[in-house]
Amino acid sequence: MNSLNFNIDNGYLEGLVRGFKGGILKQTDYLNLIQCETLEDLKLHLQSTDYGNFLANEASPLQVSVIDDKLKEKLVIEFQHMRNQSVTPLATFLDYITYSYMIDNIVLLITGTLHQRAISELIPKCHPLGSFEQMEALHIASTPAELYNAVLVDTPLASYFIDCISEQDLDELNIEIIRNALYKAYLEDFYKFCQTLGDSTGAYMSDALAFEADRRAFIITINSFGTELPKDDRAKLYPRCGKLFPDGLAALARADDYEQVRAVAEYYSEYRVLFEESSNNPGEKTLEDKFFEYEVMLMKKAFLDQFHFGIFYAYVKLKEQESRNIIWIAECVAQRHRAKIDSYIPIF
Amino acid sequence: MSGKDMISVFPSRMALTLMRGRLRGAQKGHSLLKKKSDALTIKFRGILKKIIETKTMMGDVMREAAFTMAEAKFAMGDFNNLVLQNTDKAQLKVKTKRDNVAGVNLPVFEAFHDGSDAYEYTGLARGGQQIDRIKKNFAKAVTLLIDLASLQSSFVILDEVIKVTNRRVNAIEHVIIPRIERTLSYIISELDEREREEFFRMKKLQGKKALARAAAERNRNTSEEQYGPAASLLDRERDEDLLFD
Repeated sequence: MNSLNFNIDNGYLEGLVRGFKGGILKQTDYLNLIQCETLEDLKLHLQSTDYGNFLANEASPLQVSVIDDKLKEKLVIEFQHMRNQSVTPLATFLDYITYSYMIDNIVLLITGTLHQRAISELIPKCHPLGSFEQMEALHIASTPAELYNAVLVDTPLASYFIDCISEQDLDELNIEIIRNALYKAYLEDFYKFCQTLGDSTGAYMSDALAFEADRRAFIITINSFGTELPKDDRAKLYPRCGKLFPDGLAALARADDYEQVRAVAEYYSEYRVLFEESSNNPGEKTLEDKFFEYEVMLMKKAFLDQFHFGIFYAYVKLKEQESRNIIWIAECVAQRHRAKIDSYIPIF
Repeated sequence: MSGKDMISVFPSRMALTLMRGRLRGAQKGHSLLKKKSDALTIKFRGILKKIIETKTMMGDVMREAAFTMAEAKFAMGDFNNLVLQNTDKAQLKVKTKRDNVAGVNLPVFEAFHDGSDAYEYTGLARGGQQIDRIKKNFAKAVTLLIDLASLQSSFVILDEVIKVTNRRVNAIEHVIIPRIERTLSYIISELDEREREEFFRMKKLQGKKALARAAAERNRNTSEEQYGPAASLLDRERDEDLLFD
């Protein structure tokens, strides 16, 4: 796909996304928000932004969970509109974006079913962007193996299951390991897909997905210190589509503590900076915060170029970050704990 | 003695000794109960102080834990549902023990871990450190809650027991002992009166005996005057009645 034919199929949606991007909260909006004393003030300030009256119909004592739900709903409505208007290959691209939510939903449903919770209770708790038709059918299964054979084979995620998990693994492995294995397969698949799209999309998405892969590798390594996760199992969870593949990943698999991880990061200039500026002391930015900042910077770059699909991916990520920021500020306001209220990640 | 409460008993020396014994018993019981009440009150005040301390600490710890929850949500997204669905058995359980304070059985709750951490891998790819912190903070909050629960239940039980003991102490002091004392004084007064009566009777008897003797004396003297001195067979030479001499 090239610049000439892009607008035939995707021009409307690119324009739409750029419009949405213009509505993302600016630094001044955030400064207004952190001055709020109550959640009602917050609602008032949000009314003057692109969010408008999305909280207008809510019951009087506003709660943070309500705000959270409404923010998610708004993103879902926008995304589904775009998905409904799109044609392949953009439609497939947007589907790939939803797969990550689908993985979360499936993990939630498997956990619930294993503990004999009613499916009707679990379905409302799933993320709406990740819903798939077979969700309702999950209650017929009572063990993960049945679940796989009856239901999951029909979902688009079936191939991820085959790649990394066998039937007995589903029963034994901890659910988080399953989740991370699925996510690894998903990232690698997405990466391959973007390469087939070529051009700017391929270029931009490779960068974005490489960063995501490396970030997961680092964080999985750091978080697995102190748990009983054996090193080879850990190595199986590293997505291979990042800059760290293969040497960095091998080094990470051998790492035993934080300092060794830092040493691995020294070889890669972007990651070295992140590790240097972060620390675990309270009051300074943590490593996860630095990763969020880097992600935001990468996503903003998408909008500098035209005629590629990266802007859709970037838009979803930036909107998510914005929701997280707003919820963070809302929680600080609601709990009257203003000490760290400006630990949000500013976007524009 | 009407209108005043008193044990009805036949006033006798035996009853007196018995009553004295009862009075001694009542006084000993009173002092023992008072000691028990004092010990319980001291423990009560100690518990009250600890409750106030624990409650203020509770407020802070809960606030801290709720804030850590917000931080974890920021780093990781919504993990609440996943954790809720994954709960199976309780990992922190409570054992009860009985503690004996001055004869009162107070329950004490002790927390203990059962099983390993089921949420070891939560947040493996994102937010693991915040999840760790949340686990610690909420665990602290739960142990504090358990302590507060034992303190509050002992507080309530002690309160009841102290009220009952004080009521008994007052009852002994204001009802039982005065009753016994009144009975004792009644018995003593009855006994004294009886002695007086006895004494009076003796005196009267003696008076009567003296009069009777005096009357008998007088009777003897009057018959001598009337009939002369009584003749005696032995002081005459010749007896007229004898015909042949």
